[in-house]
Amino acid sequence: MAKWGMVIDLDKCTGCQACTTACTMENNRLPGEHWQDVLFYHEGTYPNVKLMWFPRPCMHCENPSCVSVCPTKATYKDPNGGFVLMDYNRCIGCKYCQVACPYGVRFYVDEKAVVQPDIRGAFPSDDGRQWDPPYKGPQDDPSRGIGIQPHGVVSKCTFCYHKVSKAPEGVADLDEDIPELKEYVPACVRVCPPKARFFGDLDQPESRVNRLIADQRGVRLKDETGNKPQVYYLSGGASASVPSLRSMAAAPAPEDAADTINEISDTASRSA
Amino acid sequence: MNNAHPQTSPPAPATHDPAQDLANKRLAILIIALVGLLLAGGQTLANLATQGHAAFNTTNLGLFWGLPIVIYDYFLLTSTGLAMVASLAIVTGAEEFRPVLRRTVWLALAGLLGGVVVLMLELGHPLRALWAVPFSFAFSSPLYWKVMAVSFYVLSLLVLLYRLLRTHWTLQSLRPYALVALALALSVTAIAGVVYGSQSFRPFWASGDIPVAFIFESLLGGLAFIYFFSYLAYAFNPKWMPADLRHLFDTRLPTLLALAIFIHLLFVVARLGSGLYGNAEGLQVWQYLASSPLLYLELFVGLLLPLILLMLPQTRTYPAVQIVASLLVMNALLIARYEYIIGGQLVPLFKGAWAPDLINYVPSMTGWLLLLVAIFLSNAVNAFGELKLGLGSNEQ
Ligand code: SF4
Ligand code: SF4
Ligand code: SF4
Repeated sequence: MAKWGMVIDLDKCTGCQACTTACTMENNRLPGEHWQDVLFYHEGTYPNVKLMWFPRPCMHCENPSCVSVCPTKATYKDPNGGFVLMDYNRCIGCKYCQVACPYGVRFYVDEKAVVQPDIRGAFPSDDGRQWDPPYKGPQDDPSRGIGIQPHGVVSKCTFCYHKVSKAPEGVADLDEDIPELKEYVPACVRVCPPKARFFGDLDQPESRVNRLIADQRGVRLKDETGNKPQVYYLSGGASASVPSLRSMAAAPAPEDAADTINEISDTASRSA
Repeated sequence: MNNAHPQTSPPAPATHDPAQDLANKRLAILIIALVGLLLAGGQTLANLATQGHAAFNTTNLGLFWGLPIVIYDYFLLTSTGLAMVASLAIVTGAEEFRPVLRRTVWLALAGLLGGVVVLMLELGHPLRALWAVPFSFAFSSPLYWKVMAVSFYVLSLLVLLYRLLRTHWTLQSLRPYALVALALALSVTAIAGVVYGSQSFRPFWASGDIPVAFIFESLLGGLAFIYFFSYLAYAFNPKWMPADLRHLFDTRLPTLLALAIFIHLLFVVARLGSGLYGNAEGLQVWQYLASSPLLYLELFVGLLLPLILLMLPQTRTYPAVQIVASLLVMNALLIARYEYIIGGQLVPLFKGAWAPDLINYVPSMTGWLLLLVAIFLSNAVNAFGELKLGLGSNEQ
C-alpha cells in the first residue's frame, strides 16, 4: 500500500500562490481560508531584513494529533495511502482537532469569513451546505471531506484524495509531466510553475520524493511535536527556509512596521 | 432531626410567618431566574439564528475555543467541585456538613446543566454528539473520556441525590454512593485538565500538573458556591439560617475556603512565575496577561482579599464578609478559566499574512449572553430545588 508524501523545494518556490489558487478552485475554498496557503513574513531587523514565504498544506502526519484527539473518529488516517481525512457525517464541530493540530491547517466552516463581504451570502445553498458556488467540482464524498462542506464541521486538505486514490497501483511518483499520470496529481502540485512541489510514494525507496529527501536533506516542519509529517521541505538556504519557530514566521506587528518605515525614511532623508 | 424550616426564628411581628416569607423570597428568586433565562436565552437563539456560529467571534486564525468553552468548563468544574466537597464530607464522616449535603449535590447538577446547555449551543452538531461520541470508542481522545466520565458522573449524582432525599439516611449508609461520585468527579476534573495539559506544542497549556491544579480549583469553586448559594437560599438573611448551618459557616468552612484559596494561589503564582521567566515559544502570552488589569483583579481582589478576610478572626464569621468573599472567589475563578483557555490560543500556530501578531480576541455579545443563560438556568433549577425539595434539610 502506498504512503503518499509531498516534497516542497523552498529554493524553487517563488511564493506565487498558484498552489493556493488551484487548491481553492479544486476544493471550493473561501477567500482567506485556504487549505493550502503561502505564509509571508519577514526575518531579521532593519537593515538586515528578508522577506520570506512559506507554502503550507496539511502535513498528513504519520502520527496525527488531530486524529488522536477527535472524540468521534470523524477525522481519521486512511491506511490506504496515509491520507488524513474528514468524515463530515460524524464531525460534531467540537474543534478539538483544530486546537490540537500544530500546523494550523484545519478550518471550521461556520466562522465569520476572513475576507469580507462574505461571498457565501451571494450563493446560498439549499441543501445544508455552507454555500453553493457557481463553479464546483463534480466530486462529492462527505465521508472523506470532499465536496462543498456542510455546516457545523471542520474541513481540511485531502491530499486531493479524489485524484490520487485513482492513480494506477504501484506507481512511485505522480508527476504532472507524465501525460498518463497528470490527472492523478494533486492540484497544488500540478500547477506549480517553477515545479517546486513533488508528490510520490514514501514507501518506495526509489521514488523521486524519497531521493529528493535523501539527496537534499529534506526536513519536516516542527518535527519535535512527534506528528511526523508526510510533507517534507527542501531548503538549501538560497531562498525561503523552514521556519523553526512560530514567531519567526511573523509579519511585523503594525507598530513595529511603522517604526521600521520611519527608520527607513529617516535614513533615506539623512543620506539625501 | 428536621431542619426544613429555620430553627432560629427571626423576632418577627406576630402577623409574619418567617417560613412563608422565606418561601415567597425563594419563589421570587425562581421567577427572576426564569425571566432572565427567557430574555437571555431568547436573544441568544435570535443571534444564533441570524448569525450562526459566527456570533461567537472565534476565528480560523487560531482562536478556536472562545468564551462559550470558558463558560462550559467553568460550570462543569464548579459542579465537580461541589460534588467533591459533598462526597468527601460523606466519605470522611464529617457530620457538620449535613445541612449542606442536599443543596450541594443539587447545585452540582444545576451547575452542570447550565454548562452543558452552553456547550450544546456552541457545538456544530450537538444532537449528533449524543450518539457519535459514545459509539465512536475513540479511546485515544481525552474528549471521548471526558464525555463518558461526565455521563457516569451525572448518574452517580442522581443516585446520591435520590438517597439523600429519602428519609433516615446516615453518612455511613451513603458512603458507597459518595465514593463512586467522588471518583467520577475527580475523573471528570482531571480529564478536563488533560484536554489542555496534553497539548505539548502549546506551552501555555501543557503541563503535567494541570489536572491537579484543576482539581484544587474545582474544590475552591465548590466551597465558594456552597457559601454563596446557602446564603441565597435564606435570602441573605443569616437569622433565618438553621443553627447547625451557621455553626458550619462559622467554624470549619471559612478555614477550608481560606486553605483552598491559598493552595490555588500557589498554583497560580507558580505558573505565573515560570511563565514570565520562561522563553519557550507561546509563553510570551504571560507578558501580555501581566500587562492587563484582569490578572491583578484576579490575584489581589479575587483571591488575596478574600484570603485575608477569611483568615482574620475579626472578620471571618461575618455573613457579609463570607458572602463577598465567596462572590469574589467565584469571579476570580471565571477570570482564571478565561485567561487559561484563551491565553493558550493567543499565539498563532504560524503567523503570517493572515495573523501578524498575538490573536486579537474580544468575546461577542452572544458569548456574554451565554454566560447569562448558564447563570439563570442554574439558578432557576437551584431555586426550584430550594422551593420544592427541602434542600436545607438534614433528612426528610
Ligand atoms: S497537519 Fe494537522 S490536520 Fe494535517 S494531519 Fe497533521 S495534525 Fe492533522
Ligand atoms: S471538530 Fe469534528 S473532526 Fe474535529 S475533533 Fe471535533 S468531531 Fe473530530
Ligand atoms: S493536496 Fe489538494 S487539497 Fe491538499 S493543498 Fe494540494 S490541492 Fe489542496
